[in-house]
Amino acid sequence: MKDLNKIREDFKVLNGDKIVYFDNACMSLKPNQVVEAMNDYYYNFSACAGRSSHKLGDKVTKKVKESRKIITDFINAKSENEIIFTRNTTEGINLLANSFDFKKGDIVLITDKEHNSNLVPWLVLRDKIGIEVRICKSKEDNTFDLEKFSELVKGVKLVSIVHTSNLDGITNPAEEIIKIAHKNNALVFLDCAQSIAHRKIDVKKMDVDFMAFSGHKMLGPTGTGIFYGKQKLLENLKPFLVGGDTVEFTTYDNYKMLPLPEKFEAGLQDYAGIIGLGEAVKYLKNIGFDNIQKREFEINKYITEELSKFQNIKIIGPKDASLRSGIIDFYIDGVDMHQFAIMLDNMANICIRSGQHCVHSWFENRKIKNSARISVYFYNTMQEAEKFVENLTKIMKII
Amino acid sequence: MPCIVALIVFGIMGIFSASHRALAKEAFSCVFRRLTLRPCNTGFQEKIKGKILSKLIKRSTFLTKVVNKHYEILSWIFFILMIGSTAWVLRGGYNFYVFGSCNGLNASGFCAFDPSGENNKVTGVNTNGACPIVPATEQNVTLKNVDLSNFPTQNVGSKDNVVFIGCYACEYSRKAYPDILKLIKNKKANFVFAHYPAKGNTTVLAETGYCVNKFYGDKFWDFNDYLFKTDVNYVLDPANIDAILANFNFDVKKIDECANSKETKTIIENQVKELNKTNIYGTPTIFINEKAFVGPKPYRVYRSAINKFIFF
Repeated sequence: MKDLNKIREDFKVLNGDKIVYFDNACMSLKPNQVVEAMNDYYYNFSACAGRSSHKLGDKVTKKVKESRKIITDFINAKSENEIIFTRNTTEGINLLANSFDFKKGDIVLITDKEHNSNLVPWLVLRDKIGIEVRICKSKEDNTFDLEKFSELVKGVKLVSIVHTSNLDGITNPAEEIIKIAHKNNALVFLDCAQSIAHRKIDVKKMDVDFMAFSGHKMLGPTGTGIFYGKQKLLENLKPFLVGGDTVEFTTYDNYKMLPLPEKFEAGLQDYAGIIGLGEAVKYLKNIGFDNIQKREFEINKYITEELSKFQNIKIIGPKDASLRSGIIDFYIDGVDMHQFAIMLDNMANICIRSGQHCVHSWFENRKIKNSARISVYFYNTMQEAEKFVENLTKIMKII
Repeated sequence: MPCIVALIVFGIMGIFSASHRALAKEAFSCVFRRLTLRPCNTGFQEKIKGKILSKLIKRSTFLTKVVNKHYEILSWIFFILMIGSTAWVLRGGYNFYVFGSCNGLNASGFCAFDPSGENNKVTGVNTNGACPIVPATEQNVTLKNVDLSNFPTQNVGSKDNVVFIGCYACEYSRKAYPDILKLIKNKKANFVFAHYPAKGNTTVLAETGYCVNKFYGDKFWDFNDYLFKTDVNYVLDPANIDAILANFNFDVKKIDECANSKETKTIIENQVKELNKTNIYGTPTIFINEKAFVGPKPYRVYRSAINKFIFF
């Protein structure tokens, strides 16, 4: 792994140590390499891919193809046809919800701490065609309850669950979940929005059926994402977004869809974003997931220990920092954590997230108003963590 | 409550600044939710509270703790203070508009709209001709039991009455006089002019004026206008009186004889005695329908008085 100072130089916003950025679960920062790759497209070959037979068009086509290949290798997919470019994870889930052949009475099983993006599409489908949405509740410490899952998965058509939760950083045991689901003839969709940037995802090894993630949490550009599906399954899905770039030809009364992956990529794509996403994956590979996890754990452990010194601070999820990826989500009874986050920002330029983190259902169920979430990444330092603790201590004195 | 305070404060600041306008919108959204019996969940209150506390915490942890704990109560206090000060400012604005002073009719305290107190400056009576800002004692200034029948009068029979008590030598009387003329011209009010010798030797002009009015009636007003408009040093020099009278084609000899007569001098002395009954403390003092305006007010003040725009 490169020297940390060298790494931080790649992130312009971190230069000068003015900002402490602890909101990586929402959005990661972008290294210069990603920005430059996107600029290169805009400055030097900002043409259409696929459809234009000229030098610039050819170059865009080649670059997009390269990105697709990089991502295919990154998640160890069988084929590039299994990689669909989307705008984000949410779009990927909606693609599945609207393309899968659901019928009235089909059951979709989710967990009790899904991001709204993996809850609302299913609730809408419930209201639209009458599917059943089944919830698998977590254990007391918010970890996944495999036993309960094994009971609930019976008769389920699709298991749609988060891999690493943006709420508490807990990573669900995907491989076991998938095995159990497959035994029960259920397909599995994995929301990897939060995990993709922090751990190696191997779709072949996991044997996951569908998976989606976003570029913006993994150093990539905003508005980019990937929907993965096993080729055979994708071929059976009916695209819900159709139009330009999805068809081989049309007549006034007929059309022929393109094969995978184009049939799911309607309209002109975000070429700069796709190229930037490929560059982000290259950057992540260079850093290495072992190094990423090591740094995250080191900082998470320190902050967790410091937070534990305050009796009124409650950490969401298990006390063991190693189970929470780079996330420390906490709240104080009777205190609005928005105020907490605003104070940290104003006092010391420390950016953390406050609120319900798009998991409103979990907060509503537990009658917790909101929480403050610190989410660290490999470019964060222990000095930043110490600065956070120092300012947190000051705030705790006035509460 | 904090969002109501914020709405008012940011609403005012938003007139001048786009960033505060955005905050005002947020505050409005919050107030609207509260008014429609919904919780204010816009995060606005927390944002403002967080910003305030993060500023305070750099200075005093104790103070920050107090503010954090009693934020709602403090907001109420600020709200009441703000309503009070807003009412005070509105009252000041109203007073300035209708009386020419933020503090009320003829009141001489500091006024932000008239910091030098120009609208209350008078030539003090019995102050040896100095022109100070005289403390307000206008409550006693009245026309009750004052006989004005011997003073020049025009537009007799009008429903509105204007009495101008001024002095030819006093700069504030000279400043107010054109506005009063304009008012009389526009409103055709019953107008009484009374000269009060507050500064310099102006009695001779009063005597001459009396005689001009006695012999030439309405031509007095042209003569009077001339005395107020022309250079004060010229009109105050007794050597120039005959030339002035001649200029108006008056019978100079006749006027001089009249002015120098014992009868005229007695009348003028009696006029001053009569004016003293008003408890006048400075010139100009202008009565508009019995209300006394002391000092040279802006024209709108006189117009408001005659239009009965004064409500309080």
